[in-house]
Amino acid sequence: MIEKIKASRSEKIIFTFVIILAIFSFSFFFLIKDKCLFVKNYDPQKINFDNPRNIAILNVSCGNVIIELYPDISPNAVERFKELVKSEAYDDVAFHRVIKDTLVQAGDLEFGKKENLDYGKIGTGKSGLGTINSEIEAPFNFEKGSVGLARTQKYNTEDSQFFIILRDEPLYETEYTPIGKVIYGLEALEKIKYLDKSQYVLRPDFINSLRMLIN
Amino acid sequence: MSLIRLIILSLFIFTQLKADTIYNLIKIPNLEIYNIKTPNKLRYLYAKQPFTLGLDNNINCYDSEKKDLDQRYKIIEKNLNRYDQNFLKKINLKYIVLCEDLSISKINTAGIPDYIMKTLILDIKFNKNYFERVIHHEVFHIINDSYKNIFNEKVWSSFNNKEFEYAECSTCTDKLGLDTYTNTKGFFSEYSRSTASEDMAEVFSHLMIGIKLNNLDPILEKKINFIKSNLLKIDKNFIL
Repeated sequence: MIEKIKASRSEKIIFTFVIILAIFSFSFFFLIKDKCLFVKNYDPQKINFDNPRNIAILNVSCGNVIIELYPDISPNAVERFKELVKSEAYDDVAFHRVIKDTLVQAGDLEFGKKENLDYGKIGTGKSGLGTINSEIEAPFNFEKGSVGLARTQKYNTEDSQFFIILRDEPLYETEYTPIGKVIYGLEALEKIKYLDKSQYVLRPDFINSLRMLIN
Repeated sequence: MSLIRLIILSLFIFTQLKADTIYNLIKIPNLEIYNIKTPNKLRYLYAKQPFTLGLDNNINCYDSEKKDLDQRYKIIEKNLNRYDQNFLKKINLKYIVLCEDLSISKINTAGIPDYIMKTLILDIKFNKNYFERVIHHEVFHIINDSYKNIFNEKVWSSFNNKEFEYAECSTCTDKLGLDTYTNTKGFFSEYSRSTASEDMAEVFSHLMIGIKLNNLDPILEKKINFIKSNLLKIDKNFIL
């Protein structure tokens, strides 16, 4: 005959604790893996814009980033950006240069495409449309969320690459050509993959799509 | 020993990449913004720690105490405010780096101009007697480097007596005195005699501080006219 042994009070407490711990560990494993958990995804169709023709929607892994473009400040740069957006050239292009809490940079159409990623050359690619002149004369406050065209060390070398800053950068005024500002969804860019030891990212995140609100 | 190695290695592994906007722009480390809200849009930066530059790390400068920085900044800004934004843009000068004990190859210097990086490094502890003048002297090097074709050294050298020859470089000679001559004989100072470029910079800086000479010698008169007329080619509104 098998004698039934009753669990003591302390054994019951330990058992309950282990079960709770297991549940927490299991849930956190999935919650932590979802980096976009607390990032709000904005639907541009539900927002009223003053100038919808100058609104661009950058879709990344954590949702939409809504950018207002400023053609009055940098007409040529905005025209170039819109041209590339309308041809869907930025789709599947890497955020190849990311500095935590500072900036994200993308737009290398030659060496940054998902299907043609070249780590050795990324950041040096061209759009094929040629370079444009810097537009740095107009006053512009490079505050958090500002979008600008990247260039080489020399002026007048802007092409397709753009950056979005994640903190105020007052020294960028008269250095870089501004094209707009993020008005919704900057949090999604703060989740873009970065490396602690390098500005250039191995196995980077990609732009899902970049479209004008009104084509 | 292995524990020390482990600690050093872990520091290396876990040190995060620090974003340094100023370094990205002008390639000088350890700087912070001092003032960027200036009437001519010059951006003043200061060394928060010593820094070393150059391929052979031959340029060195050190951080300063705040009171020294504040004191000298007033003098520097007053003098540099004489150049308007338009002129500064033409000569490619945007960043002023303030530090002390500036040296190049262990030789102390008042300033190091770099028109490509749009930067002028100034030693705020440089001799007070010449401090204001050397600010303009260094600015002239930026002007000269940006417009080498205008400030032709052969034309300049032809103003001197035929027997006179400049040294190969400004540090290849012991003619380093900065006191203004009372009897000029074609040169404002001993340092003017070092190279054509330093001579031009000395003429320019003396004009900028408004030197008054009773008897201007004919050589110096030619040099002054050369500087004045060429500055007007760069900016017709430039006022000496």
